[in-house]
Amino acid sequence: MKMKLLMAILLVAVFTANDTRLLAHHGAAAYSMDQPVVLKNATVTEFLWINPHPLIKADVKNDKGEVENWTMEMGSTVSAQLVGWSRTTLNPGDVVTLYVWQAKTKLPVGRLNKVEFSDGTVMRDTQTGADDGGRADTGVRQ
Amino acid sequence: MRNQYMGALASVAGVLLLTALVAGQNNQGQNNQNNAPHSQWKYYPSDRSVGDGGPAPKRDLTGTWAGPSSGANVPRSKIENPRPPQLTALGQQLFARNKPIGKYSPAGTNDPHTRYCDPFGFPQNMTNEIRGITFATMPDRMLILLQYMDLWREVWTDGRALPTNVGGRGPNTLDPKYNGYSVGHWEDDYTFVVETTGLMPSTWATRGGYPHSVDAHVTERYHRDSKNDLSLTITMVDPKLYSQPFELGDIHFRWIPNQMLDEFSCIPSEVQEYLKVMGDPAGSDPNEQNPQGNRGGRRP
Repeated sequence: MKMKLLMAILLVAVFTANDTRLLAHHGAAAYSMDQPVVLKNATVTEFLWINPHPLIKADVKNDKGEVENWTMEMGSTVSAQLVGWSRTTLNPGDVVTLYVWQAKTKLPVGRLNKVEFSDGTVMRDTQTGADDGGRADTGVRQ
Repeated sequence: MRNQYMGALASVAGVLLLTALVAGQNNQGQNNQNNAPHSQWKYYPSDRSVGDGGPAPKRDLTGTWAGPSSGANVPRSKIENPRPPQLTALGQQLFARNKPIGKYSPAGTNDPHTRYCDPFGFPQNMTNEIRGITFATMPDRMLILLQYMDLWREVWTDGRALPTNVGGRGPNTLDPKYNGYSVGHWEDDYTFVVETTGLMPSTWATRGGYPHSVDAHVTERYHRDSKNDLSLTITMVDPKLYSQPFELGDIHFRWIPNQMLDEFSCIPSEVQEYLKVMGDPAGSDPNEQNPQGNRGGRRP
């Protein structure tokens, strides 16, 4: 029984340590953080390196063959630079796979989780880039 | 029973492994920065001061420092979300008006900085986005230059007293200012104390929306622990709104070797674009009452 209790406490502690969503610039309350939407073969139309958050605009075909215009935000420019992003990381015409925490409004907007490039490399967002919706930049405290 | 323990242990190990992988990925990004050619015009978070650098120089803060969230491995602020002392009735009334971004998201907040890039004002600008700071010493004052929003504060060191007539109705009163009126003195060879009052009452004292009055009295204590380490504590006394002193922050800074900072500002036109295509369509928390209209701040 004591062992069970110890394990439960340990698990809660570990998950709590990893759940740092509240530390983001603004909360994740607007987004569905359960499962990211996967936008395969998305064509980047614009990458705006702006504050408070860089924006990625991309077109992607849905299951019906219709083109959806998506917009997603990242952490701040200064935070994104800490994990390797720059204003030239994405360019119009790039075809990538985007993982997005979609807004609860169900409009085609959301918070970037990560991007997979055609060569297989992956770059994550800073503040919600981990696949559980927590921070990816665990080595770069905010 | 043993299988249950093994399962739990495997879960813990899995979570720790994932954490290590993510950390490793990000550390790899930083190591890449180390190997790249460096420009003396650029801030490199991976170029960090080593150790304490030796004893602090006496009565000298001059130079550029990295703060929390700068990537320079600065210890986090000990007061991330300060708990205020009990609010007075007026304090409660003012606090209830404010809808902070952390709870309401960009679409639902009425934080004037988030919506319009209005200045944080002091003291919030010393605790929010305080990633970089420079001190410039002049014969009669200390300039405190903040990376975020490219702004400066003037702290007079010529012995003058703080004004006592800010915000009144008489002919000789002074106007409230976004950074207030500040005086400073060296308490000892390593501790610089700044006193400020006359704050713009429309600004928020904290990111969480806690208010201050024009008569709030804020004390900052900068202590240079070593050549490379600087600590700051901020305390606000505002009896109109709080029953006790409000500990606003306990922040650490590290010396930046090449003395460069990135540019980081809120640009009004960029914020309007952000809100139009991203922040407002994303909406606010549907469970919260939205102060920006019955569409929840969303586009039609």
